[in-house]
Amino acid sequence: MARTARARWAVTNTTIPPTSGRKRRLMRNSPAGLRNTLLIARQQLGAIRQDGTVVFGLGLVVALGLVAVLGARHHETNEAGQRARYQGIVDQQWVDQPERHPHRVIHYGFLVFRQAAPFEFVDPGVSDYAGTSIFLEGHRQNTANFGEARHSTGMSRFGRLTPASVLALLLPLLVVVAGFAAVSAEREGGTLGVLLTQGATPAQILAGKVLATGAVGALATLPVALAVAVAAGPGLDSAASAMRLGTLAAIYAVYLAGWVLVTVLVSAVRTSSRSALAQLLALWVVICVATPRVAASVAGALHPLPSRAELTAQVEQALNEVGDSHRPDDPFFNALREEYLERYQVGAVEDLPVNWRGVLSRESESLTSRVFEDHRQELVEGHLRQNRVMAWSGFLSPYLAARDLSMGVAGSGPEAMEAFLAQAEAHRYTIIQRLNELHIHEIRNENDRAQRLSREHWGQFPVFGTEPPPLGGALANRPVSLAALGLWIGLPLTGLGLARRRLALVGTDRAS
Amino acid sequence: MRSWARLLALDLRRLTRSAGIAAAILLLLVLGIYGAWRAGRNAEAARSSLTAAETAYDDQLDFLLSVYPPTTDAGEVLYYVAFPAPQPPHPVSALARGRAAVETESLRIRLLALEGQLYEHETVNPRLAAAGYLDLAFLLIALLPLFIIAVTYDLISGEREGGTWNLVRLFAPPRRLLAAKLASRAILVGAVAAAVMAAGALLAGVGFDGRAGWMFALVALHTAFWFALCLGVALGHRSSTANAMILAGIWVVLTILAPAALSLANAVLHPVPEALELTVQQRQGYHEAWDLPPSATMESFYRDYPEWSGQDVPEDVFTWGWYYAMNHRGDQTARDASRAYREVLRQRDAWARRWSLFAPPLATQLALDRLAGTDLAAQLDYQEAVRRFHERLKDHFFPHFFATAPIDAVAWDQVPVFEPAAPADSPARAGVPAAFALILGSGLALGVGARRARA
Repeated sequence: MARTARARWAVTNTTIPPTSGRKRRLMRNSPAGLRNTLLIARQQLGAIRQDGTVVFGLGLVVALGLVAVLGARHHETNEAGQRARYQGIVDQQWVDQPERHPHRVIHYGFLVFRQAAPFEFVDPGVSDYAGTSIFLEGHRQNTANFGEARHSTGMSRFGRLTPASVLALLLPLLVVVAGFAAVSAEREGGTLGVLLTQGATPAQILAGKVLATGAVGALATLPVALAVAVAAGPGLDSAASAMRLGTLAAIYAVYLAGWVLVTVLVSAVRTSSRSALAQLLALWVVICVATPRVAASVAGALHPLPSRAELTAQVEQALNEVGDSHRPDDPFFNALREEYLERYQVGAVEDLPVNWRGVLSRESESLTSRVFEDHRQELVEGHLRQNRVMAWSGFLSPYLAARDLSMGVAGSGPEAMEAFLAQAEAHRYTIIQRLNELHIHEIRNENDRAQRLSREHWGQFPVFGTEPPPLGGALANRPVSLAALGLWIGLPLTGLGLARRRLALVGTDRAS
Repeated sequence: MRSWARLLALDLRRLTRSAGIAAAILLLLVLGIYGAWRAGRNAEAARSSLTAAETAYDDQLDFLLSVYPPTTDAGEVLYYVAFPAPQPPHPVSALARGRAAVETESLRIRLLALEGQLYEHETVNPRLAAAGYLDLAFLLIALLPLFIIAVTYDLISGEREGGTWNLVRLFAPPRRLLAAKLASRAILVGAVAAAVMAAGALLAGVGFDGRAGWMFALVALHTAFWFALCLGVALGHRSSTANAMILAGIWVVLTILAPAALSLANAVLHPVPEALELTVQQRQGYHEAWDLPPSATMESFYRDYPEWSGQDVPEDVFTWGWYYAMNHRGDQTARDASRAYREVLRQRDAWARRWSLFAPPLATQLALDRLAGTDLAAQLDYQEAVRRFHERLKDHFFPHFFATAPIDAVAWDQVPVFEPAAPADSPARAGVPAAFALILGSGLALGVGARRARA
């Protein structure tokens, strides 16, 4: 039944100026050629407008996109507000500390919270799975805790509803539904031949269908993009944010354009609308549903990571080897004592002009920090190896490539989480060693533990702040994904170029 | 009867000859075997993670006892000791990974304040976690329905559009033809599902017990649910393309949109600010104690442990009893925030379980995670078990601290051992609601379809 409805899409009341075969080559880019293309596009759009499914789908996607923008914005504002509030509390608590011994403060430590990336609400990237807060203290490197994923029920295996998921996951389906019959219905209705004999070239027909299908995609994208721009309003004052937003728009435009081209291509080479639809839906499942998970699973299998328990055991082993200043008769710290006694020409550490316990603490911090950093770096390298597998998988799944670029530009990619961890560690080390310096120079050796430092010291420590990685780097670090997205446009374009020649022939040799 | 069997064989052959369907079968089988192999690897990784926690404890203890003289205060050495709390995963947990990828269930716990030690992540790469993971549950709950849609959307409309419907009707009553076509598809889908599950059971080392049985039953019911749904749609007098779009739409709603919408609603209804609150409070509660007289800390300590009240804790020197009591004060201060935090998560879990019944595939997925012990509730139960373990360790060691016992005096073979959390629900209780939702959903879909067909 819908088949007859689709057949109605065929050209009935548009007249295309006849052209002779000789002239046809000349006018491919002429105004008349453009007119033909536009006529076909307009006629196709008219047919789409009468198709209830597409109109319903369009409404649904736009509604979902708006809900996603509102929901994600709400979530992000809420999160950012909470983190800012607790960061404020923690900062205040630090300054308000009573008179304390510096080593006490080393254990008191510091809490830092990851600030949300500029466009995390558009694409949360990996942020839900990365911790949001780290406790920074002496002698230890803690992990970032309380990622959003820990608070989820495991219900939503496709992630939250965000503008990125609407654009990358759902919009392609709308494009498929709007365009799968674009050419095949003309063929089934017998109007393709009419179009061709009336003088429209295959290229004009295909271009017209691409334009019409693309217009539906654009119609669905624009309200979502507008809502994003409005929601991002306050952050848009700087040129950098505007650049990010523009780049995001470009990424999704290219990605969706690829879907439009692929849809029209499949419609052009299949004999029936039914098989075109089946093939396009299968393609969507492979690209958007199956491949991302298979890629992640394969990446994990190719480059396994040690579990938390194994990593902790390795760190402990390494720490046992470097020694611990709290333990008596540690060889490294005994050598250090000899060196200090020699340098200051005194007989016992109690007679040193500097605080010996402070020196021990400083040296031991520098040793243990190196151990922690080495192991963290190993983990980071493991992640990088896995991420490379994901990047190359972008050639199989442009969805992965587009999301990779999008999270990079939004500032919520793995490198942003990594930057947070690295900056937090740098901050930890600075603060702890400054406290150790205070211990060394401001605390006397005798009756060490009973002494306190006055409160004004606490106000003189640096404040923690993160910088999102710059936009240029986000794109330059993703050449594979850029290439994959380029291919996603290039391949179907080439395919359409080839299909153009065979447009009239498809289906004619089926009976043989 | 013979003609029916011939119809069935003929249809089966026609189905498997289609290149698209053959490719889909191959893909599902390859993914199924791969998923099963991966499940086996995951189970192995989980086991080695547990062993690592226990070995590390032994190694650490050996090392500490070798460097500290036997006369050292027990409290000083125990400061470093991290006791293993390994929760052995159920064999079926490899089939439905749930949250197992982000959580660790082989924590090691020190005698210090507990709240700061409970929330460690697994070493998961966030990039992989964000892409979603492929376990057999995903394959059977999300991908298999797409295959069912692919083989059933043109069940009747395909014949009608191909012009064969009137022809075949001459030779067989439509009902019998429909039954044969359905049976051949059920055989195909059933064979694929059975192969995937068998591979999973073999490669992941799943023995057959109540949990595994319920998982298999739910997967079977879920498959039947999709069959019913597809049949319900296919019975209507629509074109194949319309059927395909409707079914794909239903799949998107049930698999992507309903979970996302419910998650969003859940997060809005049950916000969790306490996660950050409890971290801040525990730290403050513990460190403030250093600036208070020891008697004040001991006072609040005795409120929780009246059996130890009246210890002789000096005001002017450092003692280990006081030190660990200060740590306890950190947990005490964070107690309300921690309780509220857990409460919200329990509420989220219960809410998700209740509302997921309206989207049977979602209910199935949650039930599978629950049966596998990889859901949110299982993680919270594990944390409860770790809390109990921490209490038992404190019960065991505080007398040493108060008596200023040397490390020599600790009888290491009498130290409490972690008792894993028991599964919260019986397999039946975990599976029955989802099973009901699936049966009800199937009936509804068939009923609506049949009415449409008659109309």
